[in-house]
Amino acid sequence: MEEPSKFERYVYKNDSVYHYMKISLVLENGNKYITDAQFKQLITCGLKDLYGEVGASFPFDLLKFDQNELTGILRVYNSGLVKLWSALTLLGSYQNEACAFRVMQVSPFLLALSGNSRELQFGDQLTL
Amino acid sequence: MVRFKSRYLLCEVCVPDRSSLQLLEDRTIYNTLRAAVNRAHGDYGSALFNIGVIVKYLNAHTGVVLIRSRKKHYRLIWSALSFITCLENRGQKVQCFLNCLHVGGTIRTCQKFLVKYNRQQLHRMLPDCKTDAEKQEVRRAILSCSLSNVREEEADEDGSDDDDDGDEET
Repeated sequence: MEEPSKFERYVYKNDSVYHYMKISLVLENGNKYITDAQFKQLITCGLKDLYGEVGASFPFDLLKFDQNELTGILRVYNSGLVKLWSALTLLGSYQNEACAFRVMQVSPFLLALSGNSRELQFGDQLTL
Repeated sequence: MVRFKSRYLLCEVCVPDRSSLQLLEDRTIYNTLRAAVNRAHGDYGSALFNIGVIVKYLNAHTGVVLIRSRKKHYRLIWSALSFITCLENRGQKVQCFLNCLHVGGTIRTCQKFLVKYNRQQLHRMLPDCKTDAEKQEVRRAILSCSLSNVREEEADEDGSDDDDDGDEET
């Protein structure tokens, strides 16, 4: 007779130290050639304008960058999320050209960024 | 009770030669501090500075400055003090640094601290005196500085004061 398996439940109250943001850069005059270093430099400039030297030195990482779509995934510590998000909101221009950052998803867990019901596209197989 | 609580930063301006201290004005300190906060903390810092910060007192002879700020943001202003390297006054640049001595919740607590601090400084000056006359001067100064003015004010307002005396040591 095997023993009935014990039921265990783990509850994490925000166990994650980081927050992950999926963002995309929208330029007024269509896409330009921007490398990942320039992308990160642009975000750092935005942080520096709003929060000064102290704010610009806050560490954040660009984990993934898609050059064609100009989308990326940022990782930042929990204490810096509000600063980073507000700096992205207020960033208005890149090389004298109007631009905007769209924040598509924010989550403390990276796995949650892999699926997004807003961008889900139903294939033809479903129309049966 | 709902009121604005503030923190007073008692600072000292340290310069290599004391004669350049005489030219200081509170507007100089204010403008320098505003530039330092703008550089260190950006637009957010400038906005906080505009709202709550004012230079309340400046003593050009001893170089003591009293800066007032809101309770929520005094640490931000305090951190920008370390980035000040020179004060500019009518085209003349004075190399200096600002040393924060005390953080108090009211002007009275800062005043009490200043009296104690000055007395300690005079005690430290005593062994350095070269001549007897100087020693007599210093001893007389130590004996004359007292808290009696401050104590009279306290006796008047006993019990009715619920000031938030946030005495923090630096």
